[in-house]
Amino acid sequence: MLSVQDLRVGFRTERGVVRAVDGVSFDLEAGSTLGIVGESGSGKSVTAKTLMNLLPSYADISGSIMFDGRDVRALARSRARHFWGVEMTMIFQDPMTSLNPVKRIGQQIGECLTVHLGRSRSEARAEALDLLDRVGVPEPVKRLRQYPHELSGGLRQRVVIAMALACGPRLLIADEPTTALDVTVQKHILDLLDYLRRERGMSMILITHDLGVVKGRADDIMVMYGGRTMEQADTATLFAKMRHPYTEALLETIPRIDAPSHSRLVPIPGKPPDPIDVPSGCPFAARCRACTDACLVDQPALTAHGATHLCACHAPVDTSEGMVAREANLAAGRTPAGLDLAVFAGVRDHPGDDASLDVPSRFAGPGDSGPVS
Amino acid sequence: MGFLARRLAALLAVLLTVTALAFGSLNVLGDPLFNVVGFVASVDCDAVLAGEVEDVSGQTAGGRGDCEVIEAAKREHHLDRALPVRYGLWLGDIVRGDLGTSFKNEMPVRQVIGEKLPKTLLLMLVAEVFGLAIAIPWAVAAAYRANRAFDRVSTVGSFGLLAIPNFAMGIILFYFFVVRWQVFPSRFEDADLLARLKSLVLPGLTLGLPLAATYQRVLRTDLITTLQEDFVQMARAKGMTDRWIMFRHVLRPSLFSLVTVFGLTTAGLIGGALVVEQIYSIPGLGRAVVEAVIRDDFPIVLGAVVVIATGFVVINFTVDVFYSLIDPRVRRDG
Amino acid sequence: MDDPTSVDPGSSSESVEAFASPAAGLARKQLGFGFWLSVTWVAVVVVVAVLAPWLPIADPDQTGFGDRLDAPGWAAWFGTDSNGRDMFARTIWGARVSLTVGFIAILNGLVIGGSLGLVAGYFRGPVDRIISFAFFALLSFPGLVLALLIIASLGTSLMVVSMTLGILSIAPVGRLARSATLSFAEREFVHASRVLGATHTRIMVRELLPNVLIPMSALALLGMALAIVAEGGLAFLGLSVSDGFSWGKMILLGSAPRTLRDAPWVALVPIGAMFLTVLALNYAGDRLRQHLDVREMAFGGG
Repeated sequence: MLSVQDLRVGFRTERGVVRAVDGVSFDLEAGSTLGIVGESGSGKSVTAKTLMNLLPSYADISGSIMFDGRDVRALARSRARHFWGVEMTMIFQDPMTSLNPVKRIGQQIGECLTVHLGRSRSEARAEALDLLDRVGVPEPVKRLRQYPHELSGGLRQRVVIAMALACGPRLLIADEPTTALDVTVQKHILDLLDYLRRERGMSMILITHDLGVVKGRADDIMVMYGGRTMEQADTATLFAKMRHPYTEALLETIPRIDAPSHSRLVPIPGKPPDPIDVPSGCPFAARCRACTDACLVDQPALTAHGATHLCACHAPVDTSEGMVAREANLAAGRTPAGLDLAVFAGVRDHPGDDASLDVPSRFAGPGDSGPVS
Repeated sequence: MGFLARRLAALLAVLLTVTALAFGSLNVLGDPLFNVVGFVASVDCDAVLAGEVEDVSGQTAGGRGDCEVIEAAKREHHLDRALPVRYGLWLGDIVRGDLGTSFKNEMPVRQVIGEKLPKTLLLMLVAEVFGLAIAIPWAVAAAYRANRAFDRVSTVGSFGLLAIPNFAMGIILFYFFVVRWQVFPSRFEDADLLARLKSLVLPGLTLGLPLAATYQRVLRTDLITTLQEDFVQMARAKGMTDRWIMFRHVLRPSLFSLVTVFGLTTAGLIGGALVVEQIYSIPGLGRAVVEAVIRDDFPIVLGAVVVIATGFVVINFTVDVFYSLIDPRVRRDG
Repeated sequence: MDDPTSVDPGSSSESVEAFASPAAGLARKQLGFGFWLSVTWVAVVVVVAVLAPWLPIADPDQTGFGDRLDAPGWAAWFGTDSNGRDMFARTIWGARVSLTVGFIAILNGLVIGGSLGLVAGYFRGPVDRIISFAFFALLSFPGLVLALLIIASLGTSLMVVSMTLGILSIAPVGRLARSATLSFAEREFVHASRVLGATHTRIMVRELLPNVLIPMSALALLGMALAIVAEGGLAFLGLSVSDGFSWGKMILLGSAPRTLRDAPWVALVPIGAMFLTVLALNYAGDRLRQHLDVREMAFGGG
């Protein structure tokens, strides 16, 4: 249904060109969920906004985006008026700021209906009521006339979801939909999204920095770093046979309930690369414990490690190149990029190796049988 | 309700202060007797009584002796009482509608003001309409093209517009549109509403253009700020057009500073009306006040000042209330 | 999130710095060429006005300097007015009155308004409430009307006009001084002074005043511009300084319809002089204010 090929996005700023997205490709089938995972600055939000035509005028975009055979970029250029919001829609991290504070809820939900689908005010109102009901907002009649500041955070996000789904889009993009919410609410929202997606046969792109969120909820996962794809696979394969050191590191950062008490939480040392002054070679090299000399010079290409499994790495996890590289670094005490390996003392080498593979995340979705779910 | 009541109380307090200020300054800084009887006050009644000076009664209306007039005035206006008492009594008169009598033509001040005030109000209304009608589209266009050529030029233009004093603006417009190109009439035409409005176009523009410059600057800033808000992004994600978003989502929450400034600039408008009425010969309250000041016709001055000040305070109060209507959040906090 | 996308529909690259915080949306404002140009112009006008009696220019009151209503030319750079007086000289002498009034008015406002604001912001409590109410009442009164009242009672000498305009500026200056004092009064160096046993007066004068003067200086420039315009307006109504003439009076003299038609420069020259000076003061004051505001931000406002 959605096919993105070699997407590149750069922003022209005073300091130079910011390369936010640097060659990303993926396909999404109707009715499935893609999880895009990465830390701040990895380019995941920019990718989403490119799909949604939300970028400012000083953005340079290249590559192709095809939705059901239609060229999305051409649609953007021709200022198509009833595509976004109708076929493809997006929700953002903070529900409070996503809603207009001086407009009533009902008005904001109904806007899509009246503008895009030509509904009358009373029809829109009835549909809005129905939508609120479906997203689980209690007392919907009362809520319609309320203002955003009168609702709690979780309710607001439900309202935002209702607003996004009003026109029955075929694709919903959710950018960190739970990050701004209370812990107890987060699971409910994610479950709600899941349920709605299945009920409507909608496709979803779930963007997050937390691998735990997408486990069990996404069919495929794409891990991004520095504007590029690091690893891409269906969920089961990714967790069972992860190949990229970054993916591995991400997994390690998730605290485990069954780890010995007082174990150290493992962050990923270092910081993201400067997107204007992009270093040559692999973007993750400076922070990777399997870094080799080649990593500093050659950008690794996406290579296949299975039918649908792609990884861009010179020394992938669980391969001979990878193991050789790690041992060499351990022996030297540091990587060719200058990363001091003392940081990694006491860390298990292959977290994915464990018998109980499940990530005991509080976000475990249905079908996940971990120690805690 | 508490919100409104509190504002109302503040309104009354300010009104009292303001009228006290007006009354006090004239009676303390000037001669209270003079304020009441005018030039007759210069007669030295003690000398007249002592027979040293001729009674100049032939000069006063009705033929009564001047000193009798002075005595009568002293009694009627309680000039032998203390200032605060006089203020209170005067206030009582005002509330009952008695604003005194003009020196010039013995007409009740209330009538004079009643005739002139509507024209001034109409002028102010026209000016505000011009101001807003020009400023809002201007600000929207500038905010939409923030920091690009159009915006920069319009900022410079606003500055220039604001640097021209209103009387200078009036003269320039008068020169071009009345003297040279003769598009508009040179005196105020009172025949019907349409003629009045036509006569008020230039004066309205004179006051309205600088007003528009101020409004535009303020509104543009707020629009740009609001445009950074996330809900604008959300609206775009919903596929709304830029124009729809600008007018249906962004404009209303951006009006706060404009509303505040609206209240503040009304003061300038009243002062500006004084000047503009002179240039365009509009028989409004402003011109009446100025003439009264020059002629030392104090009842008119005092009466007009009280009316103007009251109107001004009421306008600000209304602005406050309107403010709360725009933003439902303000209503809650009061 | 460090996302270099903002939803400004039309902003140029200049207004988005990829990883700048949202609060630093305004570029760091240097005072700039325009500022210094404006200051220079004002300085030139002031100097020329002060030195007027000694400059080799015509006598501004001498009728018959040229023919009546001469257009600007070689002999009379700005032309002559309806009495044959040299417009150039008159403009310079008119500057004296306009500038004097402006200066005294704003000085008045700064001293009285500033002191009141300082006191209100420092002592707070009932003192603050009274002073703030006074400000509020003063601001509730249409300015020109108050000026009319006072002038009606006291006449039209230079002093009265200047002081009247000064009274009008008390409230805006005072409010600014008060809010500046409020923001500074809680800072450590004030507490420190108090601990060391300094009296209230000492604290106000030595610690707070220098800091409060900074934002007030920008307001002073803007205020002076306003005072000049206000005096012009009063003069135009015939209510300003009766001995001597200001730019406003010159404009009045030049605005009779016939004069306007035949010799527009009689009105336009003083209008131009006032416009340029007021524009310069406004621009400089605004620039200064922006510059100072940003510095406050950079030091993390308290």
